[in-house]
Amino acid sequence: MRLPYHWLRELVSVPADPEGVAATLGLRGFEVASIEQGAQPVIDFEVTANRPDCLSVIGLAREASAAYALPLTLPDRTLPPADDAKPLEVVIEDAELCPRYCAQMFEVRSLGASPAWLRDRLEAAGVRSINAIVDVTNYVMIEMGHPTHAFDLARLNGATLRIRRAKPGERIRTLDGLERALEPDMLVIADAERAQAIGGVMGGADSEIGSGTRVMVLESAYFKPSSLRRTSKDLGLKTEASTRFERGADINAAPAAIARAAALLHQIGAAHPLGAMIDRYPAPKPPLTLTLRGARIARVLGETVEDADVPKILGPLGFEVKPVEARGPRSEVRNEGTSWNVTIPSFRVDVVREIDLIEEVARHDGYVGLPGTFPTLTAPQPPPDPRMLRDRTIKQVLIACGMSEAMTFAFVEREAAAPFAGSVEPPALKNPLSEKYAVLRPSLLPGLIDAAAYNRRRERRDIRLFETGARFTRDGENRAVAGVWTGAGGSSHWSGAARAADFFDVKGAVEALCRTLGIEVTVSAAMRPYFVEGRAGDVHVRLNTEATAGGHDSAARGQNHLVASGSPPSREALRGDRDEARRAESGSRILGEIGQIAPAILAARGFPPNEELFAFELDVDAIAALQPTGDLRAESLPRFPSIVRDVSILVAAILPAASVRGTIRSSAPDTLVDVTEFDRYLGKGVPDDRVSLSLRLTFRSPDRTLTDAEVDQAMDRIVAALVSAHGAIRR
Amino acid sequence: MNVASLQQQFTSDLAGAASEADLRALRDKYLARKGGLVSNLLKDVASAPAEQRPVLGRQANELKQHIDTQLTERLAQAAARKPAADAIDVTLAGRAPFIGHRHPLTLLRDRIESFFLRQGFLIVEGPELEDDYHNFEALNMPAEHPARDMQDTLYLASPVTSAVGSPATLLRTHTSGMQVRYMERFPPPVRLIAPGRVYRRDNLDLTHTPMFTQVEGLVVGENVTLADLKGTLETFAHDLFGPERRTRFRPSFFPYTEPSGELDISCGVCGGTGRAPADARSVSPKPAERQAGEGGCAMCKQTGWVEVLGSGMVHPAVFEAVGYDPERYTGFAFGVGIERLALLKWGVEDIRLFYENDLRFLEQFPL
Repeated sequence: MRLPYHWLRELVSVPADPEGVAATLGLRGFEVASIEQGAQPVIDFEVTANRPDCLSVIGLAREASAAYALPLTLPDRTLPPADDAKPLEVVIEDAELCPRYCAQMFEVRSLGASPAWLRDRLEAAGVRSINAIVDVTNYVMIEMGHPTHAFDLARLNGATLRIRRAKPGERIRTLDGLERALEPDMLVIADAERAQAIGGVMGGADSEIGSGTRVMVLESAYFKPSSLRRTSKDLGLKTEASTRFERGADINAAPAAIARAAALLHQIGAAHPLGAMIDRYPAPKPPLTLTLRGARIARVLGETVEDADVPKILGPLGFEVKPVEARGPRSEVRNEGTSWNVTIPSFRVDVVREIDLIEEVARHDGYVGLPGTFPTLTAPQPPPDPRMLRDRTIKQVLIACGMSEAMTFAFVEREAAAPFAGSVEPPALKNPLSEKYAVLRPSLLPGLIDAAAYNRRRERRDIRLFETGARFTRDGENRAVAGVWTGAGGSSHWSGAARAADFFDVKGAVEALCRTLGIEVTVSAAMRPYFVEGRAGDVHVRLNTEATAGGHDSAARGQNHLVASGSPPSREALRGDRDEARRAESGSRILGEIGQIAPAILAARGFPPNEELFAFELDVDAIAALQPTGDLRAESLPRFPSIVRDVSILVAAILPAASVRGTIRSSAPDTLVDVTEFDRYLGKGVPDDRVSLSLRLTFRSPDRTLTDAEVDQAMDRIVAALVSAHGAIRR
Repeated sequence: MNVASLQQQFTSDLAGAASEADLRALRDKYLARKGGLVSNLLKDVASAPAEQRPVLGRQANELKQHIDTQLTERLAQAAARKPAADAIDVTLAGRAPFIGHRHPLTLLRDRIESFFLRQGFLIVEGPELEDDYHNFEALNMPAEHPARDMQDTLYLASPVTSAVGSPATLLRTHTSGMQVRYMERFPPPVRLIAPGRVYRRDNLDLTHTPMFTQVEGLVVGENVTLADLKGTLETFAHDLFGPERRTRFRPSFFPYTEPSGELDISCGVCGGTGRAPADARSVSPKPAERQAGEGGCAMCKQTGWVEVLGSGMVHPAVFEAVGYDPERYTGFAFGVGIERLALLKWGVEDIRLFYENDLRFLEQFPL
């Protein structure tokens, strides 16, 4: 709302310059967008949606009069004596959508330009001057905040205005020249034949006043805000009038606006009233009276306001304040202190309950005098949401793995999402900003691939990014963590070039992450349309019966779990399963995947050709449901030495290392505590379809020193098992 | 040559000696049995008058002692400086550990969370896909409420299943829905923050992204006041921006709080003066704004204040919606945009940087 400073001064003789007024009203809740200096200084206020009364000079002047404790002078609103005329008729057919409608006929005497003072004021307020009559209606709207509309009587069919809902299929050409289709829930002002205006939104072109207008009808009404707002939205038509009406106009300003317009039209010689003003108000709204309790003010604000100050604060704002007589049984008024009955002026549509009056009291000094205290803690706090702690852990581990945290938008291009969505369409947005943000991401990977490509295009070779966040399907949202890795697999240094990153860098990070979260995972070969064939794997965790049966008993969990998740198994149940080979079979659950992104996807997202991008994604909600709950049990340190044996074997190149480890574990005694491959060799000296695999086996007993002889014996059994299970040849 | 001038000469020679060889040459020059300057001086003593001999002799011997001590010490130092056979060039670049970076928004969020944890707040999270009831209606914004215009909403083309209730129809426009979800489930007292991502149909520009991060705060009890809100927010602002920044709490409007207020802090660019800072670089990356900033600070639009967050006392209608007795309980709520705090705190000039994930940007922030 642009407030011309001199216009304000005409109503309240504020003793401050524009900056001073802006600062004072700024502290009372009217944020200042800008101040324009010059011959016509203007303060542009950002008026909040609850204060339609202050979309007017008078409204802001009233605030200024209260702030500076100066009287408010209202402009002349006496209706000049009217000439006799043929009667005009107004029929409100829908009093719900239009509770009050006033109309006044005028004889138009001059449709020329308005006087300079009026034009200047309008221009300062940001309104273009059109002609004397339109200018006066705009002037009244800026001054009082109440929109009015003028019809050319001669262009109406008959002298009766009907306020009704639009008929099915009814159309209107509005003042902006557009032909609009109306819906039956829209309110129109119609003549005997058809709609001539969309109530409170815009007038019709067919009854627009023009140079030939001799008699005009000026409308000033009150329209139901919610219905008007829907009409304005459905038509995509937002006007100065609709903005004011949809926030709530002053129902009692309807006749006053006509009187003010008549006075102005008379003053500038543009028009003269004909006949009496019509005021249709079938069910007058009694003024609202609220009880304001002094004790309640103190309870909400945390400071006591002197009884005498309450009427002093509220009175100048237009509220009528009367102390409540002490009556009834004493118990009712005990501890309540003074109370007031406050009558709410009709222009304050935002004040509907006691709390709104308390705000008015608080607002008067801009909260400046309010003390700064601290809320008392009255109950112990439950522990923080475990998801928050888990997210922190995830971030810490991945950062320690050398990955930086990214944040990407939750909506992506349809084409980018498609490969990751499988056969189902990802949830789409009804009103996306653009095609780039059309669907909700089914995976965090499309965003991360784009982020990697963005960096790659900026001469960045080594890129390691991860993200935690929600991904979406029609079944709702799911929390995930994902990462992408390209470039070096280690730090570059003058002492030696870094090797290129590969699948196992990502796998190592995933294993470290899951282990930190208390879960041992395995990876088995998998196929995905977005991963390179033969370079992708599923991340599994083996479930025990307890975990698979884990129900959705969210109520039993901490009081901060607002999203249900399965109950977790004990830490013991998940600890170190000795048979890796069995894990990938039934009873395991897929938690996510690791793989090299397919070249076609990289090309589509702007990656340079012939580059490798490795990625992983894990379901954090699923991990959370599996995390052990019990305390970790610290193991005592080994008291006896271990014996290490290396074994090298030739096996089929396609045989998974996990099978070899599985065979070793199942044929080994309990004293085998670790088995790790430490070399894998293809090439000279190894037949074509075979691979040389070297493994290091560690044996240890918790209660005695092992002998070489028994370990040798165990090794013989293990090798025999490898020979029989996989046709292995010991090297 | 007398003792004093010889001492002076030695001092200046010693200062000029750079290498071990220089020091050895000095030893010869002064202390050599034959032709050394001090040795010569001692010989001169022998030929001096008898009554002066004891004094001169003592002085000459002291000088000899002094020179010997000095040279021995310096030679020892020089020897210590000699590189060992397996010495390394310690000025070469170190091997950088392979460590990633926290996202700056996480950095700030962690900091905000730790502040509120210290003040006894609980941290909760809620769904990003919401229904109209929790995002708007229960927050005193029924259908067609004009305040809905304050938040342009992104809607789902068709409803999506929600784990927490009725099907979701929109992307939450604020974290305030968490107030409702929490109070629906748990009785007072309440003292929580709810951080999370929120969405609005805003086109990308220097200060807008369609997804951003908010932290919601909610405190409900039998004696929670606007003064408590003011004190909490001021403490928070000082914790985050430093105790030297001034704060201002002033009235505002939100449909779900009454009375409502916004917290401002004195502008960090102009120091709260509203005048253009001497260092114009930090004002604005846009030439147009920088132009406008001439003669005034563009960051705070010459007001000396920048807005930090919105807040207020929980509206009784919200309490009624969740089944709390608005006569018995009062409460305050606030919502703060983490991106906005980051812009103010670190002088980031373009909010889009947070979502472009340019590693050159991300790596500027500490781990």
